[in-house]
Amino acid sequence: MDLIRKHCAHMGSVLALSSNPGHQNWPFSKDPLPSRWDAHPAHWDRPPRWERRDGRLPNPGSFHSLHRSCKDVFPHQIEGVKMIINKTLSSFFKVSHTLHLSAVSPSYYRFHVEHLQSDDYSKDKDAPALIGEMDSSGSLNAHALLHLTERVRARTVFQSQQSQFVTWQFETEYRGSDFTAAVTVANPDILRESVILVAHFLQSVSSGLVLGGELVYHRGRAEEGGILTLAGQYSRPNWVATLNAGKGGAHASYYHRANKQIQVGVEFEASTRTQETTTSFGYQMELPEANMVFRGMINSRCIIGGVLEKRLTPLPATLIMGAFVNHRGDKLQVGLGVNVG
Amino acid sequence: MGSVLAASSPSPPPPPSAAGSASPGVTMPPGFGMPPVPPAAPPTGSGAGKEQRAESLLPNPGAFDECHRKCKEVFPMQMEGVRLVVNKGLSNHFQVNHSLLLSTTGDSSYRFGATFVGSKQTGPAEFFPVMVGDMDNSGSLNSQIIHQISSRIRSKVAFQTQQQKFVNWQGDAEFRGEDFTAMVTFGNPDVLAGSGIIITHYLQSITPSLALGGELVYHRRPGEEGSVLSLVGRYTASDFIATLTLGSAGAHASYYHKANEQLQVGVEFEASSRMQDSSASFGYQLDVPKANLQFKGSVDSNWVVGATLEKKLLPLPLSLVLCAFLNHQKNKFQCGFGITIG
Repeated sequence: MDLIRKHCAHMGSVLALSSNPGHQNWPFSKDPLPSRWDAHPAHWDRPPRWERRDGRLPNPGSFHSLHRSCKDVFPHQIEGVKMIINKTLSSFFKVSHTLHLSAVSPSYYRFHVEHLQSDDYSKDKDAPALIGEMDSSGSLNAHALLHLTERVRARTVFQSQQSQFVTWQFETEYRGSDFTAAVTVANPDILRESVILVAHFLQSVSSGLVLGGELVYHRGRAEEGGILTLAGQYSRPNWVATLNAGKGGAHASYYHRANKQIQVGVEFEASTRTQETTTSFGYQMELPEANMVFRGMINSRCIIGGVLEKRLTPLPATLIMGAFVNHRGDKLQVGLGVNVG
Repeated sequence: MGSVLAASSPSPPPPPSAAGSASPGVTMPPGFGMPPVPPAAPPTGSGAGKEQRAESLLPNPGAFDECHRKCKEVFPMQMEGVRLVVNKGLSNHFQVNHSLLLSTTGDSSYRFGATFVGSKQTGPAEFFPVMVGDMDNSGSLNSQIIHQISSRIRSKVAFQTQQQKFVNWQGDAEFRGEDFTAMVTFGNPDVLAGSGIIITHYLQSITPSLALGGELVYHRRPGEEGSVLSLVGRYTASDFIATLTLGSAGAHASYYHKANEQLQVGVEFEASSRMQDSSASFGYQLDVPKANLQFKGSVDSNWVVGATLEKKLLPLPLSLVLCAFLNHQKNKFQCGFGITIG
């Protein structure tokens, strides 16, 4: 069971990495606001190139991004001082250096490199790419996203903590006209006879409704089991509601775009394994005239946090300031960051 | 509001230190210095040809505690967590400030402070009496009253409590002569227990740029008594100030240099015979008035590197402070930011 938990947690961190690391800067990208912002927010950043919107149902995207629009509203916890220098060497090659000075965890330097295989990479988070990241302690993070054919995509992820590999997984995804099917093999270990197999399926049932499920089969030396989770998502032009429910717990999220400046998200998570539930409320406020984005959140665990991002024109730099307070544990975390380039 | 702001303490006082007993050599809580006085500047050349009146042209050397002050002001102040300070001027005489500190390491606190400035004017920006007080959410009080009793005598009374216990109560009187300053301070006098501290300062201008003086601290507790003597010398030139304090408790040397309108540099050396260690620090202050920016950085012989950035966010009456300190030897890092409104 712990292996499942670790796998799911790593899937989350894998997503955070494979999504554009400059995603936080997305409102300030050099392109003007995309003309698709009035379209269904669930698909506005990720329509596949071959999608045809001629009355047929659209492709529902991948299973991992069901809750993404709600999760993007919440601020990321930041701590200490972080300096990120992004450098674009060519239209295919991007490099970034990160220096993090932290009060609670060891400080590190991280080197990140991206090689894109097509140069019209704007906001499509699933464009084919090779991404690698190496830490000053030797931890490696490597992803390869490939488009094998027009409809079939493959993704490989390797993660190591210093010298020990913690994740190695291989995923294949088939994008049909109105459905997505994916199979993932995570941490296959022949010697220990352990493996985690995950199968995802999402089907567009109507123009706003997507239904699907996830089947996780895990096998270790002493135990094996399967968990089935059903998922549903209903999207309108201004809001998206998503629900995942299964034996392992439930995860419900609601995303609402109030106007051009304010987006709101509400999330509810329940886990049968840890026997606890969490409700979070988050909002994002954009002030493009002031080059500012503010994200705030409040939690049922009595955690309140806010992160402010400000673009320091005319310098190509962004200043990030954030603080998270845990009232129950009486702890405060303060962070400052500068993104250059 | 200018009169209130000029006469009050330059910055909100930091939280009281945890030390309960006053140690010899400590006169007042940090940040509670006297209001700024006209700096002791050498006469511009009117002294030539008037040797017979040279003594009356020696400037007053200023207060004893101001000797190392200019150098210390160049160094950044360490701060951590999130701080919000709201200053509100209620009238020409009265100013109030609220300060909320959310701390990552210690306890968070809310502090309320009030400043009252009287109407007796003695200088261009000096009004007396000045009463400054602030109270913590845990009940700790800091207060001082400064009053100009006569044209040459200024006196101050200060109290400090840690929650409900008084840790510091002192009174002092300062006499400013033509070319000398003398001050007597009574610290924590306790008639019942027979304990107390008496500090006397004397500072004399020898030449227009050289000032010499001394400090005598006499402390007494039931069972023991002792005294510490230290000598002070200060040399002031047009763009630098060098100060040296020597005594049986240790040595303290500081050098302050004003390179140009924007850059000021300070070097400090401290040696303590009681704690048997010494430290040297280098600090600089960079002012960029066009960008409303002030940057202070410092490097220490204890492998501590720190910096503070202060920026006024016009047109709002807001000031943003970012601060980070890194101790390489102990591998500890502290960062904080604060906003001052008003």
